[in-house]
Amino acid sequence: MDFELIGELSEIETIAVNLSIREKTDLKARYGGRRWRKLKGVGLIRLPSGNTRRAELHWYEAHGIGRRKLKIKRFLD
Amino acid sequence: MTTHDSRSLFAVCIDQAGCDDLSAGMLYRVLPDEAAGSEGFLRVIDDSGEDYLYPASRFVIVQVQPSDEPKLLAVAPASPG
Repeated sequence: MDFELIGELSEIETIAVNLSIREKTDLKARYGGRRWRKLKGVGLIRLPSGNTRRAELHWYEAHGIGRRKLKIKRFLD
Repeated sequence: MTTHDSRSLFAVCIDQAGCDDLSAGMLYRVLPDEAAGSEGFLRVIDDSGEDYLYPASRFVIVQVQPSDEPKLLAVAPASPG
């Protein structure tokens, strides 16, 4: 991963439960699991430069699988 | 990243390690994001079809002739969100 999550995520919201066929197929093939959801939240991250930024993050989650494909959507500060 | 005019930017991924939504050797559309650029990141429409921030070190920026931009944009759609 290109950054390190420092602490917990906040302001977590589900942004998609009906994923595209392509997304569902890819997630199941890579990680298994069922009923994948796409979520967003806000967290403090440490970048490779050593800087820390508050950022909106997106990821996928399924019951018993945990967070996958955690990605930076935008810097918030 | 330097400031660019209204021309579209494209980049080739040269390092996909640890990234499920990038493919080495593939061409990606880059969207303007000054905040990301100041941290050495690019806003890229990745394989998921959405734009996310990735380290610029994972890409090589590609110079495209203005006359070729419409052809590339036709096959590199804008991010849905």
